[in-house]
Amino acid sequence: MDRVRDGRGGRVSGSAAAAITAALVASAGLAAGWAAGGGGVDLPWAPTWDLRLAFELDGLGAMYGLLAAGIGVLVFAYASAYVPRHLAHQDRPRREEARLHGAMALFLVSMVGLVTAQDLIALFVFWDLTAVASWLLIGFDRADRDARLSALMALLVTTVSAVLMLVGILMLRVEYGTTQLPELFAVAEQGSTVTVAGALIAIAALAKSAQVPFHFWLPRAMAAPTPVSAYLHSAAMVAAGVFLLSRIHPLLALEPGLLDALLVVGVASMAVGGALALAADGLKRLLAYSTISQYGYVVTMLGAGGEAGAAAACFYVLAHALAKSALFMTAGAVTEATGGKALSEVGGAARRLPLLAAGSGAAAAAIAALPLTIGFFKDELFFKAAAEHGLPLGALAVAGAALTFAYMARFWTGVFLGAPRGTTEPLERRLVWPVAALGALVVVGGVVAGPFAALARDAATVTHGEPLELTVAYHLDARVENLMAIAAYACGFLLFAGRRLLDAPLRLFAGAGDRAGPERAYSVSLRGLNRLSNRLHDIEVRDLRASVAAVIVPGSLLVTIGVLFTPTAGAYRVDAPQGADAPLIVAVAVCALAAVAATVPRGHLALALSLSGVGFALATAYSLMGAPDVALVAVLIETIFALLFVGVYSLVPRAVLRREAELHEPRSRRTRDGAIALVSAVVTTLVVWGAFSRPVPRDGMAERHLELAEDAHGSDVVTVILADFRGLDTLVEITVVAVAMIAVAMLLRGRVRG
Amino acid sequence: MTSILSRMVARALLAPTLIVAAAILVKGYADVGDGFAAGIVAALGVLLQYLAFGRDEVMAALPVQRAPVVALTGLALGFAVFAVPLVAGATPLEHWPAPGEEPIHVGSLELITAVVFDIGVFLLVLGASIAIIDALAAPTDGEVES
Repeated sequence: MDRVRDGRGGRVSGSAAAAITAALVASAGLAAGWAAGGGGVDLPWAPTWDLRLAFELDGLGAMYGLLAAGIGVLVFAYASAYVPRHLAHQDRPRREEARLHGAMALFLVSMVGLVTAQDLIALFVFWDLTAVASWLLIGFDRADRDARLSALMALLVTTVSAVLMLVGILMLRVEYGTTQLPELFAVAEQGSTVTVAGALIAIAALAKSAQVPFHFWLPRAMAAPTPVSAYLHSAAMVAAGVFLLSRIHPLLALEPGLLDALLVVGVASMAVGGALALAADGLKRLLAYSTISQYGYVVTMLGAGGEAGAAAACFYVLAHALAKSALFMTAGAVTEATGGKALSEVGGAARRLPLLAAGSGAAAAAIAALPLTIGFFKDELFFKAAAEHGLPLGALAVAGAALTFAYMARFWTGVFLGAPRGTTEPLERRLVWPVAALGALVVVGGVVAGPFAALARDAATVTHGEPLELTVAYHLDARVENLMAIAAYACGFLLFAGRRLLDAPLRLFAGAGDRAGPERAYSVSLRGLNRLSNRLHDIEVRDLRASVAAVIVPGSLLVTIGVLFTPTAGAYRVDAPQGADAPLIVAVAVCALAAVAATVPRGHLALALSLSGVGFALATAYSLMGAPDVALVAVLIETIFALLFVGVYSLVPRAVLRREAELHEPRSRRTRDGAIALVSAVVTTLVVWGAFSRPVPRDGMAERHLELAEDAHGSDVVTVILADFRGLDTLVEITVVAVAMIAVAMLLRGRVRG
Repeated sequence: MTSILSRMVARALLAPTLIVAAAILVKGYADVGDGFAAGIVAALGVLLQYLAFGRDEVMAALPVQRAPVVALTGLALGFAVFAVPLVAGATPLEHWPAPGEEPIHVGSLELITAVVFDIGVFLLVLGASIAIIDALAAPTDGEVES
């Protein structure tokens, strides 16, 4: 721990090294695959449902995959120095680091799977995997209630919306008979199915990208350790949403209304995110609002559509991810060095951290779209697409870019210029050089934009559905993009200079959002659900008698109603018993007698034994009805339970058993219980009698099973069903048994500990 | 403390119970019973030992601490039968031999993969039952009073 404190840093742990290596290998593989022109795999998954594990490294997958893996290398390297410090601050053992790196690697793998998936079901699976990994990562500080709630919020918002997406996918499948994207694009036509399914999938994507009105989870997710934010909330998790919109863009483009909706959501997110970023004080919070706003740009461009929109969206994602992860890492490094977490607590860090200031300066300039950074081109393409779409969107684009300029200037100058504040601690090099590397990359991209443009072009080709041109260059003339950029800088500077005047109205806006915004709706509905669940829980398990009655009473009422109102008149019949039924009737009568007898005894042991008498009589009835397998299992279960009862009673102190046995029931309750028993007995008798009177069906599933059992090399059809025909069910059931075993062991161990 | 007679009966019954369980398991495909029933029969034999001898003596005589391992082995076996056909390019849980093909015979036994799956069920049920029985029999604070 002392080594960490002295600033040189501990060695890179094994788990961190493994994560870095994995990210390096993934980046190299993806880069090589992209250079070689793609390629993919296509394995059958569940052939009877026509599900395939189809993955292909196309342009879109290559770009998002490279972002996730490449930025992953730098973020993991940063984390290898950051996380030990983070754990040391909280007096946690360093081995917990492995958990974070493991979840980061899981996230990387699911992200690569997500962006290369060509089957919507496979895509959905990886989509949820990223949500699970992000839950683990945001909630890394398990002892912190705030972190746990934030992790839950991120999980709920992204997975509940993912269910909508699954509904959309299934609608497409029902309509077109496939979930393979290339096939879908070929056959899908404009219509209500595509509109509704597209809208459902788009909602999931917008929630993942933290767009208005689902944006509230992202600032909360800043409870995560900084490397997690730098990774998930710049290059990966949040990018997955706009990735999905890009992936299914050919479907969305079939319905202009959907694109218009995206446009509205995008512009709203741009405005809300930008305004809140201008007012935010916390460093990471400001960056989170900025992310909302920046992905708002991308969604706007996807909504504008067309060649220019697709190109602008893809290039924007690329440029933004590089710069934003550098800025998140800057925030973490500054907090580690000075102890300040908000703009009001830091300042003047440039002299003490010159390399960090330079790297993050380049990144901030890129977000603000200054020339000589890759960011300039992102806004150039953005302005071009917006201007093509029409004057209103052009004006909104300039306003959004001005906001961006203003809050970025506020962020960087607030952290690095002005009077020095806070303590100064030396930083490990690994907390600085990833920022410097990304800053350098951003500047290189501003000079030699070719390779970046090529990557974005290949991605945009997939989004647009046909080949397109994407070239970026500086033009020293009075074209409209340049004029818009100059206007944005000028307005942005004015906003920055006059930010003190804006403070009060922005605070008001942020306060209104807290009081009546979507986050409030989230917490209100969550609290309501909790209350509902508690109430149901109370009704069901407060006492055993109530829970039994809660099943039996409605159950028998429903059956009665079903019997009385079944439309097929004459279907219910009660035949007179025949001679051959005599043994069965005896068995059932014994069963009934044992049940009645079970109500009499006061002692626990007698009660247990008469209950198992009911079970044994029932088992006899099964065996008489030609169900020897069921009878065998019934006998065995009854035996083991009878013995378990006896064994457990022998562990309970005698005095307790006696005291329990002497408790008397109030008369009213005994009357009520008797009435319930009578009603259910009458109804059950009627139903069972009716069922026995029916002739056994001869052409159902049972006959088919008997025929097929021969093919499956078995003559005991029950076993064949369990192990072969319904083997998947059995597999799930034995998994449940294993989970139950672990749960029982843990519960009982907890009891011993008190 | 239980009587001498019940202890003798319990001890004498253990081996036959396990043999019956093995028979139910192996014959499962041709006759009544399956891995689940076999697992319960075997667990019954062990439960009887618990009742007659108490937990301490059973733990000394039988490897009951391994029960969770046995259960998880069974689960792993089930998943293996589920997953292996995938590697071979077939659908999950596809059994061998295929319909119409003749299985390999060892005496009157037929070797089919469905039985392997059933053995997985057997091990899981046996292990889980014993683990739960053992957890119930473990000493509790309440026992001190008696």
